[in-house]
Amino acid sequence: MTAAVPGAADAVPAAAAAAEAAPGAARRRSGLFPPLRGLLPLGLLLVLWQLTAARLPLYFPPPTDWAVGLRELWDAGLLLPAAAATVRTFGLGLGAAIVLGTAVGLAVGASPAVDRALRPTLEFARAMPPAAVVPIATLLLGFTATMKVVVVTSAALWSILLNTRSGLRQVDPVLLDAARSLHLRGSERLRKVVLPALLPSVFVGVRIAAPVALVITLLVEILTQVDGIGALIGLSQRNFQFARGYGLILVAALFSLAVNALVSTLQEYVLRHHPPAG
Amino acid sequence: MRRAADGLRRVNVAGLLTMLALLGVWETAVRAASLQLTTLPPPSAVAARAGDLLLSGTLVADLLHTLQVTLLGWLLAGVIGVTLGLFLGLWRPAWRWSMASLELLRAVPPITLVPMALFVFGFSVRTELTLVVYASTWPVLVNTLEGARAVRPELRDVARTLRLSRWQTLRKVVLPAAAPSILVGLQLGLSLALVLAIVAELVGNPAGLGQGLVLAQLALRPEEMFVYFFTIGLLGIGLNAALRVLVARIPGTTPYGRRES
Repeated sequence: MTAAVPGAADAVPAAAAAAEAAPGAARRRSGLFPPLRGLLPLGLLLVLWQLTAARLPLYFPPPTDWAVGLRELWDAGLLLPAAAATVRTFGLGLGAAIVLGTAVGLAVGASPAVDRALRPTLEFARAMPPAAVVPIATLLLGFTATMKVVVVTSAALWSILLNTRSGLRQVDPVLLDAARSLHLRGSERLRKVVLPALLPSVFVGVRIAAPVALVITLLVEILTQVDGIGALIGLSQRNFQFARGYGLILVAALFSLAVNALVSTLQEYVLRHHPPAG
Repeated sequence: MRRAADGLRRVNVAGLLTMLALLGVWETAVRAASLQLTTLPPPSAVAARAGDLLLSGTLVADLLHTLQVTLLGWLLAGVIGVTLGLFLGLWRPAWRWSMASLELLRAVPPITLVPMALFVFGFSVRTELTLVVYASTWPVLVNTLEGARAVRPELRDVARTLRLSRWQTLRKVVLPAAAPSILVGLQLGLSLALVLAIVAELVGNPAGLGQGLVLAQLALRPEEMFVYFFTIGLLGIGLNAALRVLVARIPGTTPYGRRES
């Protein structure tokens, strides 16, 4: 799955995702990452870029300059705070999306009436392209850190909500019966039975939501210039510091790879310890 | 008769009432606190402004621009993505010698390329189209590739037994088997295409719904901002629904792009 926007394929059955994430035969044969010799074309391209850079327009600086640009940013004390701001917005936005998505998912999943009543509103809200949310969010919340987090949460929420909702329908009725015959109270039932059974579904949602949260974090930063790596990218471009711009794009790519690695590690861990029912 | 009854039952009355109730809450909240909330317009003002913009034709013109670029970019991305995906999915050496590069390139969030593209192509529709095509090619490419690689070996054996030519195998075996996966890629690509079109319009291209949103913001007209905001949302829903209808008409597929077994 690509680092996508909230889309039609948000809801993935937990069982299917489990099969995909499990170290199955097909997976093992092809490996998690394709053969490293496949890096050759990219390497050649970069070498060619480096060699012909003198004849390219100014906005295609040679790759070695990218590192110099990053070094400048680091020396100026700009890189680390920007990276921290991006990580913070990403973390808070995703965290809020997990809490809110699970809570609303539980609410609409538990009651068909609530589900039916909220469905059109939720469908509409889900279809809003995050880019259009940004100007409205700045209108209501100003150019603030809160605005950034709200936008990220509003985009990352949906896959978690939908997977929680569909996960709730797949919880083994026997488990619920057992909880009832043990006379567990509502909160206990939720904590001891429902949430553990839902964990794999929630994590499928998180796996889709995490890359979305990162992309939207960068999007808000580029559009509003509040702070973070995205704001620095915009700033570098406006000041014609193209080498810095490419260096920062590289940093953003590293973030994206890190998020993907983190999420698949977490997912494998969760699926190993809480295999989905059915 | 039965169809009419079904139609009635399919109208989600409770859902529509909830939506109306939320709009009512919004309206009364704004009116009750009108002094504190000068930035948030009541829905009635948004609706009135929407009427004005519809009559003057600006909204329709903006909508058509965004729609055109999104669809054109998405179609181009579909052609490029499916072609490259099939090539890489079917020809192992090409996959082996380039996939790692593609995985790394894919890690670059297309959003971060927006300022760069703005500089290279200027404040033009070329910036918008380039970004749309680039971003929405990825999901199509990746899903086509996965779909083509996942074709069951038995099916390929059948093709070989029947002595199908390469072209026939592609058309009669690989494409139908990979179709559900390709459709998922196209669906993801369509949402991405709209997002990138809006982003490009927000930051640079002097046309479209995104540009309308920015102009409304600069003119300090919150109700106009909400008109554009809701129009963009409706466009997103409309595009998704249209694609579902189209997909449903392809024999052997369900509206969700998954094949019924």
